[in-house]
Amino acid sequence: MTATTRRDAAPGRPAVRRGAAPARSRMDMFGPLSHIALVIWTILVVAPIIYTFLGSFKTNTELFGGHSLALPEHFHWDAWGRAWDRSHIGRYMFNTVLIVGISTFFTMLLGSMAAYVLSRYEFIGRRWIYLLFVSGLSIPPFLALSSLYKVVQNLGLLGTHTGVVLVYVAYSLPFTVFFLAAFFRTLPDTVAEAAMIDGSSHTRTFFQIMMPMAKPGLVSITIFNVIGQWNQYLLPIVLLPGDQQDKWLITQGIANISTSAGYEADWSALFAALSMAIIPVLIVYIIFQRQIQTGLTAGAVK
Amino acid sequence: MASIVLSNVDKVYAGGVKAVNGLNLEIKDGEFMVLVGPSGCGKSTALRMIAGLEDISGGEISIGDRVVNHLPPKDRDIAMVFQNYALYPHMTVEENLAFGLKLRKMPKAEIQKRVNEAAKMLGLEQYLKRKPAALSGGQRQRVAMGRAIVREPQAFLMDEPLSNLDAKLRVSMRASLNQLHERLGVTTVYVTHDQVEAMTLGDRVCVLRDGFLQQVDTPQNLFDRPVNLFVAGFMGSPAMNFAYADLVRDGSGAAVSFAGFKLPVPDSTFTDKPGLDRYVGKRVILGIRPSDFEDSVAANGSSGGWARIPVTANVTEELGSEINVLFTIDAPPVEHKDTVAAAHDGDEEEVALPLTGDKSLWTARVNARSHVRPGQSLELVIDTHNLHFFDVESGLAIGHEANVGR
Repeated sequence: MTATTRRDAAPGRPAVRRGAAPARSRMDMFGPLSHIALVIWTILVVAPIIYTFLGSFKTNTELFGGHSLALPEHFHWDAWGRAWDRSHIGRYMFNTVLIVGISTFFTMLLGSMAAYVLSRYEFIGRRWIYLLFVSGLSIPPFLALSSLYKVVQNLGLLGTHTGVVLVYVAYSLPFTVFFLAAFFRTLPDTVAEAAMIDGSSHTRTFFQIMMPMAKPGLVSITIFNVIGQWNQYLLPIVLLPGDQQDKWLITQGIANISTSAGYEADWSALFAALSMAIIPVLIVYIIFQRQIQTGLTAGAVK
Repeated sequence: MASIVLSNVDKVYAGGVKAVNGLNLEIKDGEFMVLVGPSGCGKSTALRMIAGLEDISGGEISIGDRVVNHLPPKDRDIAMVFQNYALYPHMTVEENLAFGLKLRKMPKAEIQKRVNEAAKMLGLEQYLKRKPAALSGGQRQRVAMGRAIVREPQAFLMDEPLSNLDAKLRVSMRASLNQLHERLGVTTVYVTHDQVEAMTLGDRVCVLRDGFLQQVDTPQNLFDRPVNLFVAGFMGSPAMNFAYADLVRDGSGAAVSFAGFKLPVPDSTFTDKPGLDRYVGKRVILGIRPSDFEDSVAANGSSGGWARIPVTANVTEELGSEINVLFTIDAPPVEHKDTVAAAHDGDEEEVALPLTGDKSLWTARVNARSHVRPGQSLELVIDTHNLHFFDVESGLAIGHEANVGR
């Protein structure tokens, strides 16, 4: 109220302030509120990660001895070493990076190509193919699990990384195509037409003109796929059985630390392994997140 | 460079809409051809068919000596400038210009030479390293032109390239386009809905309506000798005035009478328009260009062959060098399908006056010295040599060579 009065008293102010004042006070009110909400959200996300990270330096006694939120006494990397060597997390990490890398690459390549064709070319059956892709979204992996096992077994790919990659790509494609098809539709047609007239083939137009314009969409969906495939637990359990331990993925390895040890579980090694699993994802997110810029088509048209 | 020939070209869209209907058009080598018409007339579709961006439903298009019906755009050796420029946003101006040349495996030195030449021609030299987002609308438009120029193609196709620019820039770009064409002499097909652009740019202008070709001619001929009511109403701004009139001949010679006025028709008109004498004693649609009027005071003296009519100005639009005088005459407005179509998509919105059923609004363009004010009476003189006569039924211009025998 006082602010309004003071502003009214100021001479020579234009009459529009009446409209502007409520807008500003609404901003003033939502500013702190939204900041409080963001702080709470940040704590909810960051606290478990920090707890996990610190947990990797604690002993079992420290973890369960009543002061479980206290800082560890010594910052020893023993647990990290144990997780990396004895629990073969290093091996599993390598497997996971390899598989997620390959399957994300193929998901993005095939997904963006399919989405581009489905969104920009007219042909018979286009609608049906699109619907077929999208209907893949409605099948939960759990339901298809036993039949998926059979299919992969019949292909002779059970217990192989190829089998896992194929299944990952297949499960990631529906959403990728759905998302990217919508994205490609928003890009201006005339730029592709200009490229055609400039002498560019369909393939070149896609890779050199349209893909760079679709970068924000591609980056978002890449992050989505990397995180989704990295955290996949159920599918590797089914596709990479226990007798193929050297081919396991990181999620299986981490779970194994807690299950195999029975009553003498090595909790700090478990936390160390978890931290190792979290860090690469964080790095990928930070790198790609910078690439998400709006307005990449700025200047293309009009 | 090459000529472009369209013979009996059809375009039927899914759903049976016929966008282009039996279009026959020959664009000569080095000619600047403008396709003009109201929106939805098929002009852009025709251009896109020449470019190869739309399939041809029927007929044949050839560029040079080659029939290009089934050639993809890249093999037609044409370049196109789009209304929204369609630049590659992630490439610099230089890369934008060079893209088409690189794809044609041209040696680097040659690419560099052509890019620099085009940039110099268009005044883009200092922007070569910039990306399109950092350019103004006019500069982007010039990059789009440059991308076409460096290719040195058989023909330029331009789809309303100036319509996204502001009015002043459009006028100056129009002038540079004209210069560019003089200099390069490349066959150009230019699509616009703006009849001023069509008149000023075209060597010849092709007027389209609902997918049908109406008339192809030089701008001056389109203006002086429109083939039908549609072309007469569409070309020229302000639009031509129309009224139902009776063509009569009595002791003192031939005359048209309408709305209580009687204008003598000179004998030369009958020799110019063969077949007009068959309409003596019949009803015709009379057309008079606003520019064929003059204020009798300002025009004093030069009244040979000029008829005088007294009117009252309802509205005056002062344009500095001349004044548009809007006045009503006691005749019902001509409601032929052609005049309606032309008026609806005309560029200029006429001042909407509340008109009673039997009045129609006419426009006269008089010299600024006239100083006429709204509500004042004035006497207008009409150049009776430039009267236009149209058939009441068909809307065709009477005595136009294209209409003889139709």
